Amino acid sequence: MKCNRYDLLVVGAGPAGLSAAIEAASHGLSVVVFDENARPGGQLFKQIHKFFGSKEHRAKIRGFRIGQQLLAEADEKGVQVVLNATVIGLYQDRELVVRIGDAIHHVKGDAILIATGASENMVTFPGWTLPGVMGAGAAQTMMNLYGVKPGKKVLMLGSGNVGLVVSFQLLQAGCEVVALVDAAPKIGGYGVHAAKVARCGVPFFLSHTIKKAEGDDHVTGVTIAQVDEHFQFIEGTEKHFDVDTICVAVGLSPMSQLLKMAGCEMEDNPKRGGQVPICDDHGRTSIPGIFVAGDVSGIEEASSAMIEGRMAGTAISEYLGYLDHEAEETEMDTLDHDLAGLRQGMFAPANRGKKITETEEGIPISTNLLTKGFVSDEEIERFPGVTHSKGIHPVMECTQNIPCNPCQDACMQHCIKIGDHITALPAVNPDSTCIGCGMCVASCPGQAIFLVNEDVGDGSAEVTIPYEFLPLPEKGTKGIALGRSGQKVCEAEVVGVRTAKAFDETHLLTMRVPKEYAGRARFFRRAEV
Amino acid sequence: MERSDVLVVGGGIIGCATAYYLAKAGAKVTVLEASENIGDGGSSRNGGGVRQSGRDPRELPLVMYGIKNLWPHLSEELSVDCEYHQDGNLRLGKNEKHRQILQGLTDRAVAVGLDVRMIDGDEVRKINPYLSDEVTVASWCPTDGHANPLTTTLGYYKSARALGVHFITAEPVNAIKKVRGKIVGVTTPDGDFEADTVVLAAGYASRPLAAGVGIDLPMQKRLIEALVTEAQPHMFDQMLGTAEADFYGHQTKHGSFVFGGSSGLEPFNTDDGRPVTSSLTAPCICRGIMKYFPDLADAKIVRTWAGWIDPSADGVPILGTVEENPGLILACGFTGHGFGIAPAVGDQLAKLITTGKTDVDLTPLHYSRFHAKI
Amino acid sequence: MANDRSRDIGPFTEQPDDDMIICRCEEVTKGEIRRAVHEGMYTIPEIRRYLRCGMGLCQGQTCAKLVKGIVARELKVSPAELTPATSRAPMRPMEMHILAKEEEDGTI
Repeated sequence: MKCNRYDLLVVGAGPAGLSAAIEAASHGLSVVVFDENARPGGQLFKQIHKFFGSKEHRAKIRGFRIGQQLLAEADEKGVQVVLNATVIGLYQDRELVVRIGDAIHHVKGDAILIATGASENMVTFPGWTLPGVMGAGAAQTMMNLYGVKPGKKVLMLGSGNVGLVVSFQLLQAGCEVVALVDAAPKIGGYGVHAAKVARCGVPFFLSHTIKKAEGDDHVTGVTIAQVDEHFQFIEGTEKHFDVDTICVAVGLSPMSQLLKMAGCEMEDNPKRGGQVPICDDHGRTSIPGIFVAGDVSGIEEASSAMIEGRMAGTAISEYLGYLDHEAEETEMDTLDHDLAGLRQGMFAPANRGKKITETEEGIPISTNLLTKGFVSDEEIERFPGVTHSKGIHPVMECTQNIPCNPCQDACMQHCIKIGDHITALPAVNPDSTCIGCGMCVASCPGQAIFLVNEDVGDGSAEVTIPYEFLPLPEKGTKGIALGRSGQKVCEAEVVGVRTAKAFDETHLLTMRVPKEYAGRARFFRRAEV
Repeated sequence: MERSDVLVVGGGIIGCATAYYLAKAGAKVTVLEASENIGDGGSSRNGGGVRQSGRDPRELPLVMYGIKNLWPHLSEELSVDCEYHQDGNLRLGKNEKHRQILQGLTDRAVAVGLDVRMIDGDEVRKINPYLSDEVTVASWCPTDGHANPLTTTLGYYKSARALGVHFITAEPVNAIKKVRGKIVGVTTPDGDFEADTVVLAAGYASRPLAAGVGIDLPMQKRLIEALVTEAQPHMFDQMLGTAEADFYGHQTKHGSFVFGGSSGLEPFNTDDGRPVTSSLTAPCICRGIMKYFPDLADAKIVRTWAGWIDPSADGVPILGTVEENPGLILACGFTGHGFGIAPAVGDQLAKLITTGKTDVDLTPLHYSRFHAKI
Repeated sequence: MANDRSRDIGPFTEQPDDDMIICRCEEVTKGEIRRAVHEGMYTIPEIRRYLRCGMGLCQGQTCAKLVKGIVARELKVSPAELTPATSRAPMRPMEMHILAKEEEDGTI
């Protein structure tokens, strides 16, 4: 049997696979990437939000744009990306059988990288098989790739970053999110992601889960109830919602089947999300020549997947003799450093399951944020990004240590200080003067920065908020200001709308509110017409 | 140390059925299985044929006994749906060479009293209208059929377990123990197991164990493959095979088609210690299926798998007592067609062990039959 | 002994959600899976072979973790102790006529 042959075969054109392919091709390897989807990029192309991290991690760039960047780089380096190519199996001696069109091809590589990512987990409850119950990732695909609203009224189960991000995107798509529910006693994802959902008025129900989905041939409602510490329902705590859609965001499982088929040593590692290959820090599995990167070797996120991809690409280049050992070590040192940078802070893999009570700065964390999705008006005052001064100034409602620092670079006036330690909370630099340019507001992937002028003279204050909803209110639009909890705090009028290329689709809405509400008004809703 | 009347080495369908009938007769039985799973070898990997036609006359009486006495009520006996269908077997041919093979098989089976006859292509398509015109000849045995090997194997296990048979999995046997000229049990990494009788039903793994007590069983280990489609509308109920035994299968109760086949390279396939599939075999099986059943071209394949068979030097099982080793009973070398015959093997070995007698003469299958050709 | 198939796992007791479908492809319920464990099916491959769960079109992509959890709870062990089912080609269901057609000379 004749085979097509390459130095490197990559399965999966997501962030990990493409990054590895680019890295390997840049060292001279012939590389082909197979992906079963019609579009490359893996999950990147449905990530319409801005990414966290630092410059090296492509922070503040929206996921789909990172996908475009990777594709362009892959193309430039001569990587062959084959789409609609379904890998059937990984056979002995590093052979892939791939379906392309209406035939199969036998393809051999001197090295193979498996970067197949992950699939969504499900939970069962009576009615879980009804149409209308779907994975949050599936809902995201419908909205962001196909422009289809998954439903009108949605309940989200799961408060990890996927549940939080997709809830916000559902709101952006014009769906009503009736509740965000999680059986855990505290929110699993980033506080800033929760806060932007909460301030839109979505209630959070922690220590709650779905008791049943209702409906005959599709979902018409859902009943949730509170659970005790053993996750048993507490009688009498049931709450009903009329919904047509239930989104489930209860984690991901690595799609590691090809590795298992090939005979790689596997382990069941709950910390990595399930069945994963046993591999070293740079993606070498137990079988020489077979490498892994990204979620398939342990669930993380796209930013770390890209670094893992580059690590595997580097390791493969060395394995096949395209890179000498010394050069590999130098490159790997940088990548190790970048990855370590992402794996710090409160949400670091090492901190999973740990109870954290205060920030690295020694500030007690907001308990409201963990249970209700927002920092209370009292709690917010204790964080270093929140100060009061005359004139316009940034208010950074960033209260958890996460590896992210675009705001620091965004401010040309150096008003915002994080320092070299990327997880530090942003603080206001008292020696600099804010000119109200708004770059910090637009740069914050957590939409947690506001510009506040606490007194504009006539008893009013002006609050500038990041705004990513359409239609965009015009100057002069009247409405109400919502607080962090999503409750109405006062009347408000839009006095400015700013849009700029540098803001990358994050619009800056300035609203005028009575000055006593300057510290509480954090979202705008137009008056019902 | 555990003591039983009978120790069965191997938790496949042969071991499970033997244990079941032994327990039914009142024996205290322990089954040791090397793998983590019951029925992990050929028992869960075969094509499900419950077939007499095409077999060697030496094993025909045994399989005929099972099809007459055991298969018809096996589902009730085991409280599991064995999905047994007795709707006949078509053994297909496409040319004169095939016709000659089929004629020889048929003549020899008729001589033993089996109802099997040669039919032409038109009659084949009256029985199974989905078969292509390539089929010009076949042997037809109306009392043959098929069953579900997975539920049948696990049904024997379940029922034997319910009768008190002690199954231990992930318990590989290191050696058969012989003391003062008599078999007394086995040793495993966990210790010794004692019994008056040891039944060796471990597929190819029986060979090194038997060798340990001085008995060489001429068997090989060969990897063959099969596949299954998604569920299809009901088409036919016959079991199918070919003159050259390179293709076989049936439609299951579930609607899926299970087909086994050969790439021709089987004796030379390599593996990594696991029964891995070759990248060449499934496409070849698919082409084979489509030649016989063009209608199945759009059916989706959902799984392919491989399994080791234990072909004996003359293609029939090695069954029965070993006079040099009192207490040892052999049940191996089934050569890839051990499923259909398994109930009869279990039933007869249980009788042999508990009464010293069998209904069917097992002498032609005795291990002492192997001799050099000149 | 972990692999002693006669060890006591307690009696089978009915649960209110036993009729809930776990494997959608093959329509296998939670009660069927739990009962099979008590009938001696202590491993994931045995459960699959006995009930067909995870053997349908999606090949257990959705239910594998759920089934594992149910079996583990019934056996009173951690799910991580249960070996998952073997991965088998094709990774996605594939039409027979496509799997049959091997491009020998076709460049990709």
